[in-house]
Amino acid sequence: MSDILIKTENLSKYFKVSGSRMLHAVENVSLEIRRGETLGLVGESGCGKSTLGRTMIGIYRPTKGKLIYEDKELDLSSKRNRFQFTKKAQIVFQDPYASLDPRMTVGSIIQEGMVIHGMYDPKKRKDRMEELLDIVGLNREHENRFPHEFSGGQRQRIGIARSLAIEPEFIVCDEPISALDVSIQAQIINLLHKLQEQMKLTYLFIAHDLNIVKYISDRIAVMYLGSVVELASSENLYKNTLHPYSKALLSAVPIPDPELEMKKHRQILTGDVPSPIHRPKGCAFSSRCPLACDICRREEPVLREVMPDHFVACHLVEKQ
Amino acid sequence: MGKRILEMNDLRVSFDTYAGEVQAVRGVSLYVEEGEVLAIVGESGCGKSVTAQTIMKLNPMPPARIVSGEITLDGHDIVKASDIEMRKLRGRKVSMIFQDPMTCLNPTKQVGKQIVEAIKLHQHLSPAEARKEAIKCLEQVNIPNPLERAKQYPHEYSGGMRQRAMIAMALSCDPLLLIADEPTTALDVTIQAQIMDLLKEIQGKLKNAIILITHDLGVVAGIADRVAVMYAGMIVETGTIHQIFYNNSHPYTKALMRSLPSADATKKDDLISIPGTPPDLLSPPVGCGFAARCKHCMQICKEEVPPEFELEKGHMAKCWLLHPDCPSAAERGDDNE
Repeated sequence: MSDILIKTENLSKYFKVSGSRMLHAVENVSLEIRRGETLGLVGESGCGKSTLGRTMIGIYRPTKGKLIYEDKELDLSSKRNRFQFTKKAQIVFQDPYASLDPRMTVGSIIQEGMVIHGMYDPKKRKDRMEELLDIVGLNREHENRFPHEFSGGQRQRIGIARSLAIEPEFIVCDEPISALDVSIQAQIINLLHKLQEQMKLTYLFIAHDLNIVKYISDRIAVMYLGSVVELASSENLYKNTLHPYSKALLSAVPIPDPELEMKKHRQILTGDVPSPIHRPKGCAFSSRCPLACDICRREEPVLREVMPDHFVACHLVEKQ
Repeated sequence: MGKRILEMNDLRVSFDTYAGEVQAVRGVSLYVEEGEVLAIVGESGCGKSVTAQTIMKLNPMPPARIVSGEITLDGHDIVKASDIEMRKLRGRKVSMIFQDPMTCLNPTKQVGKQIVEAIKLHQHLSPAEARKEAIKCLEQVNIPNPLERAKQYPHEYSGGMRQRAMIAMALSCDPLLLIADEPTTALDVTIQAQIMDLLKEIQGKLKNAIILITHDLGVVAGIADRVAVMYAGMIVETGTIHQIFYNNSHPYTKALMRSLPSADATKKDDLISIPGTPPDLLSPPVGCGFAARCKHCMQICKEEVPPEFELEKGHMAKCWLLHPDCPSAAERGDDNE
């Protein structure tokens, strides 16, 4: 069995906007996620991180490129294949208020996946549902309640129980904590971490809170305007940041410590992210990069390995 | 010590709803001195925004109701002020920037005109002068091409630019106090850094006081002089930024600081989370609001609201653990501090 669970090869996802214009949400992304690891995906809003996550579990179909799951290319064009793939890959959504059907009880929300996939008999499903409620830290009595009776953190637990119900291998966590309060965030992060160890899950963890991503991820990919600009182990990314965008992104994160915050050298980016409808020529970051030179505006850099297991897409980073 | 611009004394604000009376603010006292930045931090629903909105009387009454308390802003009694008096104070003495800049700007009006509107309301300037002033305001918040930009509509601005325009408008009449209610929550980190730097720069230049409301302790660390931590409608701890970050004593403040991953935390250590959820303010707890989630909870915590204890000059906390008669940690059987 291969070490790599899911892989994208030159994956692109475009959306049609008015007329014949295309919005390049994801552009040419090649990523590997290893079995049992957490890959963090960070970037500003609109950089395509959610689109990439959704494309990877078959919610969107890729415009170009391949998805490879356990060494086999995934063909998600037929409904049947997509259905089978949902048994392996699940998602936890950002907004726990919008992602649960308000007219279903918690019990039926959690059991629905098992029913659809014809898993177990009704009695066993109920047992399993109760077990899942325990696992995610809810009470068994909650089974007959409706989502609106729960707080944000509890709803996110319901969403996690739902995604675990059909025993997937791969879970995309699409900003699972950004809608929650600080004191509740830690609860959910600890829960996700515990579940990963118990069930050998593989996570793609999408977030914009860099402190949390660093904490939970083994490796981190930084995205900018649809492309991955840097990919490294979470330790390396923070200690030895190479791409100018990653540097700016990391230095923009406020540190909850007044003395460190005062001493910190901050690199502030000017301007805003360009529109993904009119991607700049060459390097997507060239319009805001403090180091940009001619080649950056002409040629698009490719993601290359500059150090063992440290990939960066920048013309100006020398191979080390 | 500077002059106190704002003083709030035992403010209580309730909302009358069909379900009953929601006691959103349950006795908040605070002050703001000239030229300082006070940060109010807390989780959603802890009453931090309601407190701030009450200073400007922006919450619709009813359903909101000031139950008791006093607010004095630069000598004006806010609680008793009529609508007409409030109108004169808003913008001139105190102004506010909000979380979502898109819903606060008028989408049908050019940005420049919206600023002119605010200026003309408070200053007797000719249209041409007001316009010049508005463009100066936009320039001050680093909007490129202010002449062109003033003629554009809010939808032509990006999120960060809109927040800049909001700040320009809020500062157009040079208020004594600026209330920033989660000004960067809707923005990305790189834009957040730009806006926070701008606020710092402007504050350094204009010397007005700021009340910053946020749940992000990182943002607080970068800008605030003093911090007030709110929980369940009350200020549980207040002090200078150093006292709150390095020498805090309320269990909630401590737990809040520890629930953030530290710079060198790895996946192996669990984050320290606060079990449970904040109380429902429809029927607030009789004793300390945090008692149900506090691991040091004693009998008295459930029965009586703790008074304010002064730890150092300017550093106050509301917790029974600080009472001189409180048994020490060992006597209580608390091993983990």
